[in-house]
Amino acid sequence: MISLRTDLPLGGDSASRFIPWLVAIMIFLGTLAVSGVSVFDTILSGWSRAVTGTVTVQIPALPADSEQEANQARTDRAVIALTDLPSVEGVRVLAHSEIDALLAPWLGEAAAASDLPLPDLIDVTLGDGSTTSIEELRSAVTTVVPDAIIDDHRRWFEHLIDLTEGFRLLAIGVALVVTTALALTIVYATRASLAEFREVISVLHLIGARDVYVATQFAKRTLIAALKGSAGGLIAGALALFAIGLLARNVESGFLPDIELTLGFWVLPLLVSLFATTLAMVTAFTTVLSTLRSMV
Amino acid sequence: MKIFNPPETPDGTAAVELKNVSLRYDDGPDVLSALNLALPPGSFHFLTGPSGAGKTSLLKLLYLAQRPTMGSVHLFGTDLTAAARRSLPAIRRKVGVVFQDFRLLDHLSVFDNVALPLRVAAAAEPEIKSNVTELLSWVGLDDFMDAKPAVLSGGQKQRVAIARAVVNRPRLILADEPTGSVDDVIAMRLMQLFIELNKLGSNIIIATHNEQLVARFGYSRLALADSALTELPPLSDGNAAEYDQTINEPQA
Repeated sequence: MISLRTDLPLGGDSASRFIPWLVAIMIFLGTLAVSGVSVFDTILSGWSRAVTGTVTVQIPALPADSEQEANQARTDRAVIALTDLPSVEGVRVLAHSEIDALLAPWLGEAAAASDLPLPDLIDVTLGDGSTTSIEELRSAVTTVVPDAIIDDHRRWFEHLIDLTEGFRLLAIGVALVVTTALALTIVYATRASLAEFREVISVLHLIGARDVYVATQFAKRTLIAALKGSAGGLIAGALALFAIGLLARNVESGFLPDIELTLGFWVLPLLVSLFATTLAMVTAFTTVLSTLRSMV
Repeated sequence: MKIFNPPETPDGTAAVELKNVSLRYDDGPDVLSALNLALPPGSFHFLTGPSGAGKTSLLKLLYLAQRPTMGSVHLFGTDLTAAARRSLPAIRRKVGVVFQDFRLLDHLSVFDNVALPLRVAAAAEPEIKSNVTELLSWVGLDDFMDAKPAVLSGGQKQRVAIARAVVNRPRLILADEPTGSVDDVIAMRLMQLFIELNKLGSNIIIATHNEQLVARFGYSRLALADSALTELPPLSDGNAAEYDQTINEPQA
């Protein structure tokens, strides 16, 4: 077991009181950043599950003077072509009442009920492990209905993915800033302590202490301070996330998938604290070593 | 019983050697000038001289707190002026120092202060406990093991400083006025400690103003004056039996 005994009066100096707070704030920010990304990923994968494996085929209505039957025939041809594809699991033509319902929020009940030339919509469900590319599906449909429009929701989805990447980069940026700030502050705090304890360190040297012996004591002190700070930062982060979770519950369900703060969710913040604590300890250790090298 | 300086080792290596050593601080005058000295292993010397003659500076050169401006300092055959920084701790562990101002660590107990040289050398805790306890009882501080230096008298602090200097049985013991703050009885007892360690083979150099002390013991003197060092014969033939008795009185 590591002995926590130290020969330096560490614990009473300014750095010892200040490091836990510093680490706590850093961990708090880090926790929020990584949790933000992981919540956003959860939301996105929820949406992604809902839309992948489905394709919407739109059969535009023929000019108003055309036969009602001609429209029906085009839709039927598309349905047959789709059903023939081995990867297609289900094909469902949306009833006109359903399309009206979709349009009602935008155009109002009256407009929906009017004689607008509405397209037919075919909801296609692809089987799991489907090997048919969207291009094959498109060519199968356009062969029978040349002006059919195939929408695999990808375009809409790609923007969301860009957004997530943006968030992720932002989180990495926050992590980098937090890490650099942490390391720099530990360097300054450790140097301040070294100056404060110059006389004690000089005595330790004169009785034969190696630099590593002194550095280890600083590293232990910083480790303890950083562990305290990590615990504080994690608790504060957890409370903040819990509060955000409560607010999110009030948002219209369906838009946000349920975000559960499961045990797995905490792995990332824990890793962040572990990293920050190790960084603080290693920084203190190397700072002491490099500073002592300049002493007699 | 007369204490003789043991003969030089067969290979002739001096325990302490100064070769043409000069020291000055910044642009000041030479504090020490072209000193030459070779002490055989197991020697015991008083370092005498008026205040400001450079006794403490000379000791600093020997305990590696100061590097000479010129010349070289050798301990046990190692040239300190040429030694790599990382090899210094190992050499320092062979040197026990009683600082004039004690330099005890105020936040540590008496026990922990004395234990320090063993701890930095990574000794096992049971060994530390037995050595430190034994030594503290020898210097009469068994009741103060857990006390902080701040509550001790000057003489008690001095004894802690001496215990810390000798706890790891160093090959060279440098003491700067080690009996300055203690009464005569304690001074004799501390001298006895140095004598015992000298018998075990340690080189001892005691810097002192105390003419009486020097006269009482038959050891050679290193006299520092006008930044030069002269080796002088003992002031007396040092009747050891007489002061052995004096030393043993408190225990009787």
